[in-house]
Amino acid sequence: MELSLDHRKEGDRTVLEVGGEVDVYTAPKLREKLVELVGEGHHQIVVDMTKVEFLDSTGLGVLVGGLKRVRSHDGTLVLVCNQERILKIFRITGLTKVFPIHDSLDEALADS
Amino acid sequence: MKAEVELHLPPDVQYVGLARLVVTVAARKAGMADERVEDLKIAVSEATTNAILAHLRNDRPHPVVLSFGPTHENTFGVTIVDAGPGFDPPSPDAPDTRAWTDEGGLGVTLIRGLADDVEFVRGDGMRVNMHFAVGLSANGHDGEASP
Repeated sequence: MELSLDHRKEGDRTVLEVGGEVDVYTAPKLREKLVELVGEGHHQIVVDMTKVEFLDSTGLGVLVGGLKRVRSHDGTLVLVCNQERILKIFRITGLTKVFPIHDSLDEALADS
Repeated sequence: MKAEVELHLPPDVQYVGLARLVVTVAARKAGMADERVEDLKIAVSEATTNAILAHLRNDRPHPVVLSFGPTHENTFGVTIVDAGPGFDPPSPDAPDTRAWTDEGGLGVTLIRGLADDVEFVRGDGMRVNMHFAVGLSANGHDGEASP
């Protein structure tokens, strides 16, 4: 299962839709995309992980890197995730305290 | 552990996905419940990633070796062995004490949080032994994957 990455503007937010598997092999592509988006001036990012089939600590590390990157521009990075198997690894690593995580994209976009 | 299957992976990150695939299929065949298989899949991914990166960073051309299978009643074991320099695993601290800006070291935290039992043995490299309870599948413990 390959990684898929699509982004679009939603008002003042940029939604990055991630699908497939994020692991040590595919994570560099996600890192590059986040670096590219922030470099182009997208500083209010919503990462929609609804279609992610697998994520491990390599992916968590890339998301943490993305968060640091937008924060250096006073931006935000929020996550959309409704899958228990993925939420579980955010809980185990304590990252639920670091990322705002929403059940749905609408909820994430309503969060200011 | 008396493993049923051994998998030798070249030290290349593209093979981590193959390790996940093979081990999870074996666990399902052993009757592991789907939810538990998801935990196993992440733990195998973490340990295999660490092993392959240890070989790549230290220029070791040898394969990383995974051995896995049902160990005894209702348990599934996975052992990952690498020929890297090894590491002393960090003490199991509460995630709260971790600086969130620390991008490394999350893998060991996840393995500890997901496996029922894990040991990190430093020898001529690193050996990670993990065990997961199997539990009965919906159609009984018949050793066959559910259709």
